[in-house]
Amino acid sequence: MEKLKSSSLLRAICYVAIPLLVLILIVSIAHVSLVSKYGEVSERKDYLQTENFAHLYYNTILSNVLNVNSYRNNANRRYSPYREIQNDDNHQAIYYEDNSRYNSVTSKCMDYIILDKENGTIYTNMKSNDYQKEMQSMKDKKTYWNYTQGQIQTNMESINQDNIKFLYSSSSSLEEFEEIEVYSSFNTKLMATSASFSMQQKIYDIFKDNRNATAYLIPMTVIALAVIFLYLCFSIGHQKGKEGIELSSIDRFPYEILVTISFTIIGILCSIMLASFESSAMGNLIYSIWLLCYLGSYVSLAVLGITTIKRIKAKEFWHSFLVYRIFRWVKRQIAKVVTKAIDGSHMSKRITFFYLGFVLLSIFLGLMLGSGIAIILLLVFWIWVYYQLLQYGKKMETIQNALKDIYEGKKEVYLNEEELAGMLKRMARYINDIAGGFSNAIEESLKSERLKTELITNVSHDIKTPLTSIINYVDLLKEEELENPKTKEYLVVLDKKSQQLKKLIEDLVEASKVSSGNVKLKMETIDLKELLNQIRGEFEDRFEQRHLSIDMNLPKEDVKIQADDRYFYRIIENLFSNVTKYAMEHTRVYIELVNTGYEIHLIMKNISKEKLNISADELMQRFVRGDRSRYTEGSGLGLSIAQSLTELQGGKFQISIDGDLFKAEIIWKK
Amino acid sequence: MVQILVVDDDKEIVNAIEIYLKKEGYQILKAYDGKQALEMIKNHEVHLVILDVMMPNQDGFETLQEIRKEKTIPVIMLSAKSEDYDKIEGLNTGADDYITKPFNPLELIARVNSNVRRYVDFGSMETTKGEKIYQTGGLKMNDETKQVTVDGEEIKLTATEYHILRFLLQNKGKVYSIPQIYENVWNEESYGAENIIAVHIRHIREKIEINPKEPIYLKVIWGIGYKIEDISH
Repeated sequence: MEKLKSSSLLRAICYVAIPLLVLILIVSIAHVSLVSKYGEVSERKDYLQTENFAHLYYNTILSNVLNVNSYRNNANRRYSPYREIQNDDNHQAIYYEDNSRYNSVTSKCMDYIILDKENGTIYTNMKSNDYQKEMQSMKDKKTYWNYTQGQIQTNMESINQDNIKFLYSSSSSLEEFEEIEVYSSFNTKLMATSASFSMQQKIYDIFKDNRNATAYLIPMTVIALAVIFLYLCFSIGHQKGKEGIELSSIDRFPYEILVTISFTIIGILCSIMLASFESSAMGNLIYSIWLLCYLGSYVSLAVLGITTIKRIKAKEFWHSFLVYRIFRWVKRQIAKVVTKAIDGSHMSKRITFFYLGFVLLSIFLGLMLGSGIAIILLLVFWIWVYYQLLQYGKKMETIQNALKDIYEGKKEVYLNEEELAGMLKRMARYINDIAGGFSNAIEESLKSERLKTELITNVSHDIKTPLTSIINYVDLLKEEELENPKTKEYLVVLDKKSQQLKKLIEDLVEASKVSSGNVKLKMETIDLKELLNQIRGEFEDRFEQRHLSIDMNLPKEDVKIQADDRYFYRIIENLFSNVTKYAMEHTRVYIELVNTGYEIHLIMKNISKEKLNISADELMQRFVRGDRSRYTEGSGLGLSIAQSLTELQGGKFQISIDGDLFKAEIIWKK
Repeated sequence: MVQILVVDDDKEIVNAIEIYLKKEGYQILKAYDGKQALEMIKNHEVHLVILDVMMPNQDGFETLQEIRKEKTIPVIMLSAKSEDYDKIEGLNTGADDYITKPFNPLELIARVNSNVRRYVDFGSMETTKGEKIYQTGGLKMNDETKQVTVDGEEIKLTATEYHILRFLLQNKGKVYSIPQIYENVWNEESYGAENIIAVHIRHIREKIEINPKEPIYLKVIWGIGYKIEDISH
């Protein structure tokens, strides 16, 4: 079965067999129709004897006579095919080129003259100088048919006076036209040169010996064709060793175009064929043209048929239509544009929807613009849309402001969702959620900071109590008389360390309080010059002890800032105390106050006693000291506290290290 | 004999304080919680109480309130809480002084002495008419005798310190900046002498204050100036 399905040999046989079978079928059908039309004729002469011929001939004459009659009666002369031509001396002649539409073959081979006896007008399809003579000589023609004085004279038996009664005529009979005489002749030789007639003759000749062959040829060829057609339908598209339908490039060619091309070819070939039918050319040339046309038509039809079957079988039939492809392309383009514009966003869909509504309504109202109401409606509509857009913009602004508030860290951000709708409402809800979460997070972090501070404070309280005893008993021990001199040394260490521990705990509490912002600020106007002088006074002795000289460079005018005096003092105190701890002895400490107009810079520079192999950032972190060792006094929290306090009061605290130069800078916005 | 009641749940601290104060010649009574303290006050003649804030059963503030219902004896609060808030609360409840743990024994003794003097000897140095006397709280200045006393104890000041303190005492409660002080004391404009004033003031503070870092009389308002606190009992 599979072999049969994909046998190209069998298919080739089919393709060859089809035109032959069809040719046989056509010829057979032609023969059958000819036989039914003209009866059994084998000779040209016989044809003239047939009732069919008699019928044609008589009706041709009759139709011409009717035409003439209507012309005579001036009825529709304008549309009449007769045209007056140059006549001879006696007669007015009217020439009619296409003398009958009844049967072209019959009338082409026919010469006739119709004479109107009343005025001697001649209606004819002959060109002659002497119609009188023509009329006289008509009798001498091989086959003639005259009608004079109500009598038919002819040498064609089938149309003589007696037989004519049996001929069918739809309209009328000759007897009605007594004032008319008809002279006509039939040229059988002319008939023989007509391709169609010779074709008929050929067809007759084919079946000359076996006249009943058609009776079985037609059904046989029909069955054979049907079988071949079914087989081809079954087989086409399958190839050896391949699954499914193999489509070639022609099968993907737009179907309508293919159909058009194919039928154009067939149409051209058929018209060539039909044209040659009417031509008087004869012989093998005509047959070869016919054969070529026939084969050409067959090939183009076969190609079309094969591809059609393939397409149907591959379920690609509709897809191969150009219209379908154009439609699909347009659809895809639109979809592409639309998806690009909408980009999967719900909002874009809505906007598109509303915008289309707006445009359509505008167009609709615009079309009705003739009436005044429509203009008003259009204006109202536009104003309404404008108003809606304004509302939308306002709401968007509200949302933006809310977002800005969140961005700026404001705690109480809330949008009234009830006032908004659709996407804005959802946005408002999300913002409210974020704001809620945000302020929760702030509260949480504040709470945790507070808890941390509380914890540190509580722990420090618990540490302070035993520490009090340690300090006190160390102090008491110092006053005791101790025998071993070493114990005194040890006591000094104990004393120093317990004092350091005390300081450390105090700083720790302060640092945690300050860094968590857990301090209440009392902002006042402070004179920085006064402050620096006061602090200098406080530290004078300690600086002197370490042989540090202060070089203070203050501007002449007063420098006033807003700050909490006690906390600001703590900042400077920490810096000064750092200097007394870490500055190298016998060096200068520079203090500079610069007023730039926008900002106030308080700069302190000193030379470090130890090598500062640490970054400025690290140095500012809690519990970090420049020397990385823990032998020096201090808690390591000084700079961290100073930084936190500065920032709490709205200033900036920077430190930088350049070699052994330590520089601290406090920047205060005016 | 001045009797001092020391109240703290930490026995070692009580003992340490006892040692210090005994050296100063005080008689010591000891209690380890609020209830015991109240009993002691009821049963003995107590001239001063050192009261720890954080104690079991009845804390220092409650005990203080109980004491204040009957007695006006000086009470020094002793607490590990060093916040301003805690100090203010303590003083508002009726404490006369506040010492934070861990304390410097010398400071403790100074405060005890000061409070005892104020309580026991108060009014011993009556103002004599016609004498130029400036006073705020326990700080007194007799401009006739050029004598300065804090809670009756004489303080030795240099001439410059004396002049500065006199100026501030004369204008107690008012804040003066360094140049203002200089101009008023020396009667001439200050030219870079500000630093000297600041140092002098620190020295005065060290002499008249028990804890110069937390002064009672001579207060520093940073970035503004100095003032003598106006304390009137």
